[in-house]
Order: sequence, then structure tokens, then C-alpha cells
Amino acid sequence: MLQQLANGVFAGSIYALFAIGFTLVFGILRHLNLAHAAIFTGGAFVGIELATRFDVPIWLLFPIVAGAGALAGVLLERTAFRPLSGRDDEHFAGLISSVAFGGLLIALLHARYGTEPQSFPSSYFPNRLYEIAGLRVTLMQLVTLGLALVLMLGLAWLVSKTPLGRAMRAVAENPTAAKVVGVNVTRVTAGTYALSSALGSVAGVLLALNLGQANRGLGASIELIGFAVIILGGLGSLWGAMAAGLILGLAEALTVTYFDSTWRGMVAFALLFAVLVIRPKGLFGHVKVREV
Amino acid sequence: MLAGYDTLITTIALGAILAYSFHVVLMAGQLSLGQAGFASLAAYVSTLVVPAEPLFGSLSPVLVGLPVGALVGAGAAFVVGLPVLRLRGVFLAIATIAFGEMVRVAMTNAEWTNGALGVRVDKWVTFDFAWIIVAVLAYLFWRLGPSRVGRAFAAVREDELAAGSMGVNVVRTRMTSFVASGAIAGVYGVLFAYFFGRITPAAFDFSLMMDGLVTAVLGGYLVFFGPVLGSGFLTVVPEIQSALGLDAGWVHPLVTSLLLLAVILFLPGGLSSLLARRRPAPRRVDPDGTDLAGLPPLPEPGTAVAELRALGKSYGAVQAVREIDLEIRSGEILGVIGPNGAGKTTLVNMISGLEPPTSGEGEVLGVALGSNGGAHRFAQAGVSRTFQHSKLFDRLTVLDNVLVGTHVVSRPTYLRRLLWLPSARRDERRARALAWAQLDRVGLAERAHLRPGALSYGDQRRLEIARALAAHPTLLILDEPAAGMNHVEAAELAALIKALADDGITVLLIEHNVRMVLDTCTRLVVMNFGEVIAAGRPREVAADPKVVEAYLGATETGESEYV
Repeated sequence: MLQQLANGVFAGSIYALFAIGFTLVFGILRHLNLAHAAIFTGGAFVGIELATRFDVPIWLLFPIVAGAGALAGVLLERTAFRPLSGRDDEHFAGLISSVAFGGLLIALLHARYGTEPQSFPSSYFPNRLYEIAGLRVTLMQLVTLGLALVLMLGLAWLVSKTPLGRAMRAVAENPTAAKVVGVNVTRVTAGTYALSSALGSVAGVLLALNLGQANRGLGASIELIGFAVIILGGLGSLWGAMAAGLILGLAEALTVTYFDSTWRGMVAFALLFAVLVIRPKGLFGHVKVREV
Repeated sequence: MLAGYDTLITTIALGAILAYSFHVVLMAGQLSLGQAGFASLAAYVSTLVVPAEPLFGSLSPVLVGLPVGALVGAGAAFVVGLPVLRLRGVFLAIATIAFGEMVRVAMTNAEWTNGALGVRVDKWVTFDFAWIIVAVLAYLFWRLGPSRVGRAFAAVREDELAAGSMGVNVVRTRMTSFVASGAIAGVYGVLFAYFFGRITPAAFDFSLMMDGLVTAVLGGYLVFFGPVLGSGFLTVVPEIQSALGLDAGWVHPLVTSLLLLAVILFLPGGLSSLLARRRPAPRRVDPDGTDLAGLPPLPEPGTAVAELRALGKSYGAVQAVREIDLEIRSGEILGVIGPNGAGKTTLVNMISGLEPPTSGEGEVLGVALGSNGGAHRFAQAGVSRTFQHSKLFDRLTVLDNVLVGTHVVSRPTYLRRLLWLPSARRDERRARALAWAQLDRVGLAERAHLRPGALSYGDQRRLEIARALAAHPTLLILDEPAAGMNHVEAAELAALIKALADDGITVLLIEHNVRMVLDTCTRLVVMNFGEVIAAGRPREVAADPKVVEAYLGATETGESEYV
């Protein structure tokens, strides 16, 4: 039981890390970026490539993957979102163009790696097991949880304390006004995508490390859970996404314990559906007053 | 010649039908992605209840299954829509995705569906049958375009607030598109089952929804044949590719993604915008005697149009409007002036039904303020308005904008248009005649074929007035119509307002152009901090020291410069 809860927390930390990138873009730019799952998958494959072909040690792996993710994020913003800005159907078209960008990325991964799952070398990460207060946890799980927490807290610090974060919040509040007072909206937008995608790709490589391997469907499997997390947490709320990621991880672990594992998907969506209908602003979000 | 291509051709048809279920919600501006759930439910229920052998020896299961599937899909959409349609945009999309996934998980776990293995049925769907369904759908959507409900869909898509203020029942219109989408998805589900001969829960998953959405958008959702075009394109491209010998599995998704990206970036109207003919400038329709005869007479001058008693509105701790007593009588031009933030727009929002009051009561043309139902009830009663920041329907032409305004004075034409009844043609002609008459009234007839974005600022304000006039209003509310106009334009507008009053329309005018208000209005109300501080004849009010202090400002001698 307690063991299941602990596993839920580890899974939940990856959900949360995936979802905060998602929610960051939505909260600041009001874009629903459906390429996020593909970037997540891309991060996993880049990580495996680096580990198998170049023997990159794990401490160097994460920064390189994050850098690659950031680059992909900038590219995504350039091709799929920036050309649409100012159009009547900007938000809707952005949804479709990000689907296209994601599809493109997955097709390229397909071309490069074929259909077989790719694996990390078996000895890549020490398979160490600890007993803490009667719970069995692997070193990998601890690294995952630790890294996810550090990255999420780092993001929260960045958004609330740094000049870039302040500019982001200004753009979130009112892009036009932000531009008027001298915020470089174009650069902030690109920066937001870079950050979001860096976090997403690190989440991808973390999940792949935990599973030992990755296939092209890795992101699709977590994308729907990502929706659930950002809605539960309140779209655009960073702390909400973190809490909701953990809650979902726990809820899933409990479902698997008490019901059949095939019902796992139901929990996330039943929760999501209920929250949307009863409290659309999410568990932790707060509504903005809409102007008429 | 078609031999050997049966499957390909049927696949195009099925893809088009799925895309139509997205088309109908996109037309109404709703991003709903629950179609896979509706299709799944419809497919399972129909395979469960429809006997495997032909009924009466001749009705094949798919023929019996289609109405069953359509009903199941529509019913499910209605039930899901009741809670979900309070949401909009991305929230609606995610809630409907969640519904689809819940159906998938439930079907995987249920006993009667045989779990993940699925259900086998006989194959009954042939390509001609599938294409008949496509033809029927295409016909339904072709006739929908220039009909009253078709215009309501477009209006809701472009701007819900403005649509409601023009008398369109926004809630019902959104639900209609949602239920229609469910019915079409249900039809798709049944056809899918009897074409492939097998259904599994996994067949109706998230990727199916994305496929449907992509097909609908690629084809273009503003033109009725968009889904067919999108599906044909997406099905034929991989065929061409394999004919060229590019068989690697990744080529197809790569090409499709690139094409999708190119279309969404460079062809906002989808592929169909390449084929759609340039529309000729709309032909002018002049009203004949019978057109105007159907319109209800305006009330006699002096009848009460609106009565407000101690009306108030607060947003949390902010009291925007407090204790307003006001009577509006037919035939007057009532001006409301006051500094920014005085509560003028809040007042007219309440009178036009956009916001309920939080205290006090009032009645406008027989409709009680705050009664359930929303803005469209006020519009139907004869209140019509323009907005401080114009809310035009950007992707409709000038003429079509005004046509939406005729919503409350015209009858539904869609069902009669399906049957080509002459009375539908007459009603549509009459709506056009009324719309042209309003364009003449404000002087925009030459620009009827343009989009609002191509108009000057002053012309956009005039277009909003024309749209409001098309509803044949008893009470016309103009919220800062002269803002941004130059002197000449403002003078023309003043003349227009006087002419409207001469025609018997009661006008409520909010305006900062004091000269214009003094010249046009028969009565003036001055607001400050949510309260009426003065009311009466314009000249007397303008001389009131309180008004001078609060709003007008004084000349050096201490006199109001407007007296």
C-alpha cells in the first residue's frame, strides 16, 4: 500500500514535470501546444542516442537534452506559432499547426530509429535499490524525484524573481501593454517555448531512464495525462500543475491497487471531467475577470 | 475502372463523414473533440440491438443501424453537452477529449463489449452506400449555408456576445451543433462497424479524433465540401506516394504533417479556399411592399419602453451602478453622459440583457431584467444595440453581418430550404431586402461585399448600427457610436439618429461628444459614480452646476461652455 503510494509519487513527479512546460506556455501565451508530447518523446530519443553512441555520462546528459529541447522549442515557436500571430483564428490555427509540428518530429524520429523501441545500455545507470522506512526505492526513482523537484522549484523561482520571469508575467497579463512598456514580447515568447520544451524533453528522458527504453508512442501515452494535470491544477498555474501531477500519480497508483489496471485511465479523466464541470478554474487556479 | 479501388474509395467516404462531425461544430466555433466517444457508443449499441440478419428479409443491418447510431450519438451528445457546453475553447476541447477517453476505458472493461477484443459483425457497407451518405451530408451542409440557422452558427462562431444581442439563442445554437456532431459521429461509428466488420474500443481513440479534426481543418470548415476534399486529399496522398515507390513507413506521416503545416500557415480557409469561386458582389434586392408589411408596428409615441426601479449592479465590492430610477418612453432620444467609469455601459448592458442586475428591478418591453434566458430574449422583444468596441462578425461580409441582424424578424428557413419550398426562397429574399434597406439607411450599400476589416473605423460603427437596425428594434441602444469619428461623420450620424427617431425608433445614446448629444437628444441623463446626478432637457442639464463640475468642465468665467 505505502509502496504503491511511493511509486505514485515518482510517476507523478514525471507527470508534473511534463505538465508544467505545457501549462507555462498556456498560462503566458494562451497557446495550447500539442507538440509538447512530441518534444517529450524527442528528449527521450536524444538521451538514448547520447548515452549509446557517445557514452555521455548521466550528469551531462540532462543539460544536453535540455539544450536540445530548448532549441526544438524555439524552432517550434518560429514555424508553428509566430507566423500565425495576429490572425483571426490564431489560437485555433496554433493548435493545428502544433499538431503538424509534433507529427513532423515523430515522423523524423521514425525515419531515424525505425519502429523498434530504443534502449539505454543496460549498465548505463546503477540499478541500486534502497530500503527507506520499509519502502523499496531505486536510485533512479530518487534521482527522478529530486531532479523534477529542483527543476520545478527553479522554474517557480525564475518566473517570480528574475527579470525574464517578470517580463513573462507581464506578457501573460497583457501582451500589448507589455510591448508598450518596453518588454521584448518576441523574445519572451521564444524564451517561454525554449523553457517549456527544455523541461518537457528532460521529463521525456527521465521517463525513458525509468523504463529503460523509449518508443515513438512515449509522448502520446502521457499527453492525455498532461491535459488532466493542467486542468486539475488550473490552466496556467505552475504550483497547481505540480500538485496535480502528484495527485494524479497517487490516484493512479491507488486505482491499480484497488481496481484493475485497465481502469487506470479512467481516474485521470473522470477527475478531469468532474473538475471541468464543477470548478473549471481547476483545483488551484483562480479565474480572471473577463472584460466585456 | 473503379475495380480494385473499392476500399480506397470507401475510406475516403468514411473519412469525410468523420470530418463532417467536426465540421458542424467548427462552423459554430466550438472546439469539441468527443466525436470518437459518440461514434464508439453508437457502434457498440447498434451492433448490440440490431439483429445480424436483414430485417423483413431486405433491410440490411446497416440500414437499421444508421438511425439507431445517429440517435445514440445525438442522445449522448445532448447528455454530455448539458454540463460540458458551459465551457469554451480549450476547456471544452479537453473536457470532450476526457469524455472520449472515458468511453474507451469503459468499453474496454465492460462485459457486453467483449473487452479489448471487440465485436465482430458482418460487412455490409459497400462504397456506393458510403458515398450516398456522404452525398446526403454534403447536401445538408450545402443547404445550411444561406439559411437562418446557418447564419446563427456563423454569428456564434465569430462573436457570441454580439450574436446573442442580435437575438440568436447562443446556448441552443451551440447545443444544436453539438448534437448534430454527435449524430454524424454516430453514423460514422455504425458505418465503421459494418465496413470493417469489427469494432474495438481502441479503434475510437484520441488519434481518431485528431484525424477527424485534421481532415476537417485541412479541407476547410467554412465551405460545405471541405470534409470531402480533406479526406480525399489525405487518403490519396499516401497512394501516390506508394505509387512513386516511397514505401518507408515514416514518409506518410512526414508528408501529411508538412502538408498540414503548409495549409494552416498559408491557406487559412483550408484546401477548399483554392477551389471556392470568388464570390461575385451580392446582387441588390430592393424591398417591395409586402416585405415591410410583416414587421410589427412600433409603439405609439409616449408609451413606456423601459422602466427601471432602484436598479443596481455590483461586481464584488465595486458598486458600478446604484439605485437608478429611469423611465424610457417611446419616441425619445435619451442621451446618457458622464465621465469614464460612471456606469453607463453597465447600465445599458443590463437593459440589453447582457448582465443581470444585482439589486432593484426593471422591465424592458415586457421582459424583466435578470430573468433567465439571456440577451436573445431582449433582442426578440425589440431591444437592439451596438457596442462600445465594435463587435462585428469578422469573417462575414458586410451584407452577411446585417443579415444576422434580421434573425429576430425572419422565420427559420433551413428545413424548407432542404425541400426547395418557394416560401423559403421568399423568406430569404425578404431578409436580404431588409438588410439592403439598412445598408442604404447608413450609406454602406456600395461596400456590401467587403469584410468589416476592410472598412474605415467610422464605417464599422455605421455597419454596427445597420446590423442593429435590421432587427427592426423598438429600442435602439448606441454605445459611443461617434467615438473616433471626425466632425463631418459625427454630424452625419446625428442626422441619422434624428431620422431614426422620426421613424418611431426610441434611441438610447451613450456618447462623449457633448455637442452632438445636446443637438440630437430630447432628454439627457447624467451619471457619475454609478448614480444619476441630473436628468431633464439637454440645455437645462448642461447648465446644472453639478454636471458642470462632474463632467462638462467650466470656462474661466465659471460658466458651462455648452450653455
